[in-house]
Amino acid sequence: MDKIELKNLLFLARINADEKEHPEIIKKLQNTFNLIDEMQDLDLSDLEPLNNPLELNNVSRKDENNNRNKKKEFLDNSPESDDDYFTVPKIIE
Amino acid sequence: MNFKDQREKFRSKAISAKEAVKEAMQKIKNDNLNIFINDFETQALKQADFIDNNFEKFKNTPLSGVPIAHKDIFCTNGLKTTCGSKMLENFVPPYDSTVIKNCNEAGSIMVAKTNMDEFAMGSSNETSYFGAVSNPWNSDLVPGGSSGGAAACVAADITSISTGTDTGGSIRQPAALCGVTGLKPTYGLVSRWGMIAFCSSMDQAGPFSRDAFGCAALLDAMASYDEKDSTCSKRVEKNFESLLTKNFGSLKIGVIKNIDSLGINTDVMQSYETSKSVLTGLGHKLKEVDFSELSSGICSYYVIAPAECSSNLSRFDGVKYGYRASNQKDISNLYMETRSEGFGDEVKKRILIGTHVLSAGFYDAYYLQAQKVRRMIKNKFESIFKDVDLIFMPTTLDQAFEKNRKDSDPNRMYKEDLLTIPANLAGLPAISFPNGFKNSLPVGGQFIGNYFSEDLLLATTHKIQEVTDWHKMTP
Repeated sequence: MDKIELKNLLFLARINADEKEHPEIIKKLQNTFNLIDEMQDLDLSDLEPLNNPLELNNVSRKDENNNRNKKKEFLDNSPESDDDYFTVPKIIE
Repeated sequence: MNFKDQREKFRSKAISAKEAVKEAMQKIKNDNLNIFINDFETQALKQADFIDNNFEKFKNTPLSGVPIAHKDIFCTNGLKTTCGSKMLENFVPPYDSTVIKNCNEAGSIMVAKTNMDEFAMGSSNETSYFGAVSNPWNSDLVPGGSSGGAAACVAADITSISTGTDTGGSIRQPAALCGVTGLKPTYGLVSRWGMIAFCSSMDQAGPFSRDAFGCAALLDAMASYDEKDSTCSKRVEKNFESLLTKNFGSLKIGVIKNIDSLGINTDVMQSYETSKSVLTGLGHKLKEVDFSELSSGICSYYVIAPAECSSNLSRFDGVKYGYRASNQKDISNLYMETRSEGFGDEVKKRILIGTHVLSAGFYDAYYLQAQKVRRMIKNKFESIFKDVDLIFMPTTLDQAFEKNRKDSDPNRMYKEDLLTIPANLAGLPAISFPNGFKNSLPVGGQFIGNYFSEDLLLATTHKIQEVTDWHKMTP
């Protein structure tokens, strides 16, 4: 992984890191990829990928009002809110 | 005091729930191992009063009148839930997770929330924003992680039961390092609703106690079908406590061929060998099984877990709840700075790994290949369980190790989970229990069972604990 790839990755993950720290981050990521890469030698072309250990069933419920409206509690948890809305810095100039 | 005695004291009215809570609170106040993130004396005393005033209702529930500490990953209505992170330092959930609700209904009283690795990512409890937890056996050592506080809480005899979660070994590894019993149930046995997500396809909540008895009673309380978690199983509920004494007869127990080649230290291996003779002494038969694929599990785990983590943790953006970086001029900077300041280094590293393995150019090579390895591990377990009833192996490579460990192998910390990860990949239940004592420290061994065989895991461990004393040793 080089510095350009890391910058792209940091942007995708919405994480900032001082450029001075980039070499250390690359080193740490590379160490992990060295561990992960041990699986690349396995020929698993005849296996289907597994994304969940158990059979999943569709869970449905009746479309009923459950009276769980907690708008005030949710808004109280936000760092900034105004009346019925979450507040964020201006998005469109 | 062990769980059984604690509960009996309440049931026989030798002690009220309120007195039990006061005792626990005193120990929590004297804690110098950094086991807890928050305690809740006022609420706990109020709940204890409620239970004492409704004695008839609670005298036969699984956890009657017993104080409990919950890992700070379970949402608690009106009470802080931090997940060990600055990101959620002041987060107050507006609802109880299903695990908390079930434990309350079973008659336990939450006295505190335990310290943990940030977002459950770590094997030493050192990634917590609230500082490392010390091991009750030796305060220079780690208790393991990520449920380090929960294991230390029971080992230090502060509460007789606690809850944890296990994504890659986060119940079993700290149980082994602290000398207590901890069980990771089958994926789907316990509801994940209200449990802060790390890797949703592997996260599973489970019990800690000194012995299998306490774990069985706590699992009876925790496990339930829950329509709010679409991966929750509709299996018929069992009464694990009553099944502890069921006679499963002579079992065929699988032991892994050439397991000593995996880098397990000699003291852990010695305890393992001793335990094998305990098993044969109880009439079980050991059968060597080949599991050469076992060590590939760690490669798969460190792709899939970060991938799911990067997706799950994308919700922390400083808008609806949690930490927000101050004075940001636009929304993009708000996201960036909030996440950079709110997450710790290990969490950021795993988000970056996850983002990388899911990106277009690397998806097939990493994510898809890791899912195929996961299939390979699951298939292997299925074929082994055609031959044996349980698998027995050490829980960890090492005993408790020093804080800030420097190792020549940069991946040594990740490799601590080598023996626990395969059960998570396959979604199988596994229990770790104290199976030896070396260098004045506990050693842990684990059984892995077939799907929904928690009754067998608990009963087999219970039989071992009837003839051994390792689980009775205290720091």
